[in-house]
Amino acid sequence: MSQPLVLGIETSCDETAVGIVRGRRLLANVIASSVEEHARFGGVVPEIASRAHLEAMQPTIKQALKDAKVSLSDIDAVAVTAGPGLVGALLVGVGSAAGLAIGLDKPIYAVNHLAAHISVDYLTHDQPLEPTIALLVSGGHSSLLQVNDITSSIIKLGQTIDDAAGEAFDKIARVMKLGFPGGPAIDAIAREGNATAIDFPRGLTTSNDWQTRPYDFSFSGLKTAVARYLENVPDYVRADVAASFQESIVDVLLLKALAAAKSSGIDSLVIAGGVAANSRLRAVAQTRCEKAGIRLRIPAPGLCTDNGAMVASLGALLAAANRTPSPVAFDADSSLSVQTVSLT
Amino acid sequence: MTISLAIDTSTSRTCVAIIEDDKVLWNGHRDGATEHGPALPSLVQEGIRAFSIDEVIVGMGPGPFTGLRVGIAFAESFALARGITVRGVCSLDAIAAQVKESDFIITVDARRKEVYWARYVDGVRLGEPAVNFPAVVTGATIYADLFPDMKALVALPGNITEPIYLRRPDAVATADRS
Repeated sequence: MSQPLVLGIETSCDETAVGIVRGRRLLANVIASSVEEHARFGGVVPEIASRAHLEAMQPTIKQALKDAKVSLSDIDAVAVTAGPGLVGALLVGVGSAAGLAIGLDKPIYAVNHLAAHISVDYLTHDQPLEPTIALLVSGGHSSLLQVNDITSSIIKLGQTIDDAAGEAFDKIARVMKLGFPGGPAIDAIAREGNATAIDFPRGLTTSNDWQTRPYDFSFSGLKTAVARYLENVPDYVRADVAASFQESIVDVLLLKALAAAKSSGIDSLVIAGGVAANSRLRAVAQTRCEKAGIRLRIPAPGLCTDNGAMVASLGALLAAANRTPSPVAFDADSSLSVQTVSLT
Repeated sequence: MTISLAIDTSTSRTCVAIIEDDKVLWNGHRDGATEHGPALPSLVQEGIRAFSIDEVIVGMGPGPFTGLRVGIAFAESFALARGITVRGVCSLDAIAAQVKESDFIITVDARRKEVYWARYVDGVRLGEPAVNFPAVVTGATIYADLFPDMKALVALPGNITEPIYLRRPDAVATADRS
């Protein structure tokens, strides 16, 4: 099947998302977010997210079909995020996708959320991207990966040992009373600030760290350092704190990503996940990759955050590569390893 | 002659049946409080093999949320895929249907040491289902270990469109934290 029509469902966190692709062509990408319901809690409340998923699921599927101008009977395969994510949230998507697949008598691909984030790049670029280094950064994940084949071979080089990068943005935004989610708020205010005003720490970048865990990340020390700074300097300049904090994260993410590219001899880098929408990360990545002779690919900001198109995209790549579909009965896996691209 | 796919995931048992009017054509279940995700699709796939389904009837709870939602999400999507109707009913009523007494109470484990429950007198539920500690659920014989009667589930009237949660999500607004 060279141009399979695939419907993808994503419910791993607070976005109820359905995307439809035909091969590498994006036909629909509908997202119903419950983020506003979580804002007053300062983070995603799993039960609120799960309830919102069930409520939004049918309208979101119908809207995606309408946008794509296809009917369900045209669909060749269904794809769904099986993990990692919030298990109660994932199970709404898994139940819905299984209902569709069995109802239509079509194959189902239970895919990895992280691999799907990377695969969305295929919707905007023609050439295959493998092999490539992938930096996956979001509110729940921060990993450095080597992608040999997006449908079958992803190797984890390193990951955060504490907070995810996006989580650090959320927490600092909360302390600075910038609201939730923190990423866009800090990104915006940081544009007015001086990124070198405060020298915040770069986690896991001592020479010993470069020896023992070169591709792991740590953001909790940075978070503590910023919180302490805010306490000690009551008349702090918000924009400078935001810019300096953001710079620390961007710097360390790219230092490690480029080091991974260099040591593996792979001259390609994909940055994906919600934090890839950060304007400073995009700009600095552009500059540093150009200088290092590395081809950089970052999906459009709208495709970086959680969406259904990425799930459909990975499903279509799996179908096109004739990978075995998933068994119809499978469980959501809240801690699914990125090395498992799809459940078989 | 209507062939119904009946689904209930409101208890620790995933229940699936194919019912034609008052005949049970196929009946299957799997036990496990966290098994609904994989159990439901495999039961349905096995059950529907020989039948053309005309409608879906699904238990809307009350029951532990995560499993309950699997059944509802599946039922709604299956119906959408087939272009058939889906109808929601109260799961406790389907459990109560098998008890032949004039006054009794049905309880279902609600976790956190509480139960979902309703009282039935002369075959009619008194008021809405509730969630409480077992100590306050008294007044009639209690049936605590029953599962839905799927033939009765299909025969229940009405259409409940929202899950019967009975509890609000646990969360404390940042402004209210001490």
